[in-house]
Amino acid sequence: MKIFRSLSKRYIIFTPILLVIVVAQVETYSQLTTSGTFGAAIRLSIPILLAGLGGLYSEKTGVVNIGLEGMMIMGTWFGAWGGFTFGAWQGVFIGMLGGALFGLIHAIATVSFQVDHIVSGVAINILAAGVARFLNVIAYQDVAFASSTASPRIQGDIGKFTMPFLAGGKIGERETSNFIGSIEDLDIILISDFAGLLLGFLSNISYLTLFALALVPVSILVLWFTPLGLQMRSVGEYPAGSESLGVNVYLMKYIGVTISGALSGLAGSYLVVAGTGTYLEGQTGGRGFIGLASMLFGNYKPFGILMGSGLFGFADALQLRSPQAVHGLLIIISIFLLVLTFKSFFEKKYKASFASFIFSAAFLIWFLNSTSIPNQFVYFTPHITTLIVLSFANQRIKLPEKIGVPYKKGEIN
Amino acid sequence: MKSAINIKNITKTYPGVLANSDVSINVYSGHIHAIVGENGAGKSTLMKMLYGMVKPDSGSIEIFENKANISSPKEAINLGIGMVHQHFMLAKNLTVLENIILGIDKPFLKNIKLAKYRSEIQKVMNLYSLNIDLDQYVDELSVGEKQRVEIIKVLYRGAKILILDEPTAVLVPQEVDELFKNLRDLKDNGVTVLFISHKLDEVLEIADEISVMRSGQMIDTVLNSNVSKIQLAEMMIGKSLPVPPPRATSTSEVAILKVENLKSQDEDGRNIFTDISFEVNKSEILGIAGVEGNGQKEVVEAIIGIQSIDSGKITFMDQDIKNKGTRERLESGISFIPEDRQLQAMIMDMNLTNNVIIGRQNIEKYKSNLGTMKTKNAVKESEKVISAFEVKTPGTSTLATALSGGNQQKFVVGRELEDDPSLLIASQPTRGIDIGAQALIWEKLRKSRDEGLSVLLISADLEELIGLSDRIIVFYQGKLVKELDAKNVTPEDLGGYMTGLKK
Repeated sequence: MKIFRSLSKRYIIFTPILLVIVVAQVETYSQLTTSGTFGAAIRLSIPILLAGLGGLYSEKTGVVNIGLEGMMIMGTWFGAWGGFTFGAWQGVFIGMLGGALFGLIHAIATVSFQVDHIVSGVAINILAAGVARFLNVIAYQDVAFASSTASPRIQGDIGKFTMPFLAGGKIGERETSNFIGSIEDLDIILISDFAGLLLGFLSNISYLTLFALALVPVSILVLWFTPLGLQMRSVGEYPAGSESLGVNVYLMKYIGVTISGALSGLAGSYLVVAGTGTYLEGQTGGRGFIGLASMLFGNYKPFGILMGSGLFGFADALQLRSPQAVHGLLIIISIFLLVLTFKSFFEKKYKASFASFIFSAAFLIWFLNSTSIPNQFVYFTPHITTLIVLSFANQRIKLPEKIGVPYKKGEIN
Repeated sequence: MKSAINIKNITKTYPGVLANSDVSINVYSGHIHAIVGENGAGKSTLMKMLYGMVKPDSGSIEIFENKANISSPKEAINLGIGMVHQHFMLAKNLTVLENIILGIDKPFLKNIKLAKYRSEIQKVMNLYSLNIDLDQYVDELSVGEKQRVEIIKVLYRGAKILILDEPTAVLVPQEVDELFKNLRDLKDNGVTVLFISHKLDEVLEIADEISVMRSGQMIDTVLNSNVSKIQLAEMMIGKSLPVPPPRATSTSEVAILKVENLKSQDEDGRNIFTDISFEVNKSEILGIAGVEGNGQKEVVEAIIGIQSIDSGKITFMDQDIKNKGTRERLESGISFIPEDRQLQAMIMDMNLTNNVIIGRQNIEKYKSNLGTMKTKNAVKESEKVISAFEVKTPGTSTLATALSGGNQQKFVVGRELEDDPSLLIASQPTRGIDIGAQALIWEKLRKSRDEGLSVLLISADLEELIGLSDRIIVFYQGKLVKELDAKNVTPEDLGGYMTGLKK
């Protein structure tokens, strides 16, 4: 019983990972931990990670940004246009600029004109969808393979990286050994599963993905260890106080929201440049909002956002690669909820404990009485997984103190 | 003597209000100089101009005998002026260290030299014998500690002139002593202190010179040794002081409200309050003293049914009301003045008439047979309140937000007393309002009590608590630790019980 009590908040997050590995030992669900699944999970989680980091920069300066989705749409369109006109890397950069432009619009509205943040965000989302279509019609009037909802294919590509020696990458033209891959093939419990995870990270990974992952530690450095970051955070906590210390509150908010737009734009262009290769209408598919959820899941910490987006990406990858394996998720969720049941029970939160127990039982019954999950539901897996985890992990989210509150210069409190 | 601040003939008008009219003041270097005046006398405006937050319309400011044009707080800081605001300018989710160094570096992307700052701040703290843990989150600090952070913050920025805006308003007496000790240390180290207050005892205790402001004008500047408290007060309000009449009637022995063994826990199983038992008799004011956050607010909310309780009994007029809803309790004759008038007592964007109806929409007076509101009665009612409580407003259709704080509060108190309740729960009834409005509310409370009203009074203003109450109970860490007779208790005694120093 002591085990449950000592399961602190910090480590409970690793229980699902452990459960996944255990369940993956069953043949039907083996796809749960292959390097292919992990590779896909990383690819799918990057746009969400970037949107989440974007949300972080904005919300830390006190501006709610539900316009992430719209800024991401701009990223997809501008990314594709830049990619088509100039080349892949230029496309990434132009996509970022497109997102940043809409971030700037959001900043002008919310900071300078004190428009309600939600209203402005909704407006941005609607506007972006319209603008993207409008631009697409205008830009590709005489271009082959383009329609009003799709752009032509971009030129060139970003390039992929495979670690030499460990994952079989090439040095020059020489082949090297694939050490981790061979371990994965050995099928040893636990070890091969971890090898799969590692291989997913090390082989065939886009340079853009590496860049995006590097933004996690970079964000930690910027926000927590530079004067700029300190001022940005202080503005979200107590703008009037910051102003009295000579912090340029408006400027900080502008910087935060514009970076937010740029990162969302990057997320969008990632979808195009490292994914489909063309702009498609509706391509973002609500990933901006999921990014916002991953930010909450991560409790406004870059590393937490990485975990949150990874979770979503994993569930997404699973439904794409192996619908049978999704069935295995049911038992994982059930057991995870059971762990939460005990945890809440020992923390004397009886209501929460009871609720977890009921849901745990429901998932168990579902698991036992079915062999697969209806197709329609499989597509929904990433969203429902995010929702479940978010609803049980949202207990202690530490919002910036003055988030969503318009700030007028010279106003005390 | 060298002058630190010399303000000459400064004037500032806001739309419709003359906030400062031709104000001049001279503060000597290395002195503690107090500015006293009622709320709205123009003290804060003057300080904001000195600190560069507001631009004067005309007049000049000299700092250390050099002409200064202060257009932003940053410039004020550069000139050596530091301000400790009444509402602390601290970000709760940042650490003490982060709060202190905020804004010192230009917002660039380089490493913050935390270790360097830490040792420099430590030096400042040693010099002025101030002490605080730099790595704590501000959220975890007590009020007095937060204030100390503010002081360290401005000293670290090289302030030679320290402006303190109502620094004692939020402190208990023991913390005030600590603050004054710190201020004297600062003075000995050559810091000039400008101290804004309306508490005359404190001003007389600490200040070398005292300036008095009234309705935007500087009335006079006097030496501490040449003035008495009564003289100061008369200069401040411009007429001789009303003397509170001693109580003429006596409390009856009939208990109106009886609270027995009340207990409540939060979600984590910590006690919010426990073992709370007391009675409020007919025609009695029972005061509740306690440092904010010691459970008194929650107990009061439990009595009107906002806060849930785990066990215990609440009896009002011989009826158990524990399981009744808040509206039923209010309709059975309890009135409630919440501590935050803008957050709880009024809807700021509604007019006064609607603010009278709110919470009473089910009373026959305001409800027609069709279920619509009888606005006419409400207008009449609000007119009655406005005239009885001297609320300054253009009319009953004015939005609540357009009234000044004192007038809002008078309106709230009037509204709550209007229905002749049996019990009034008054939480901070005169917080942050001017002396005139305060005196009126005190008088009305006394009068209602003499007519048989029972009052449960919570106040952070200990003089108010002692002056109004018949009995006082003290809360400390969620428990009722002491019951006192208000006739022979001093603020220092009360402060001792409130902070757990005395038992």
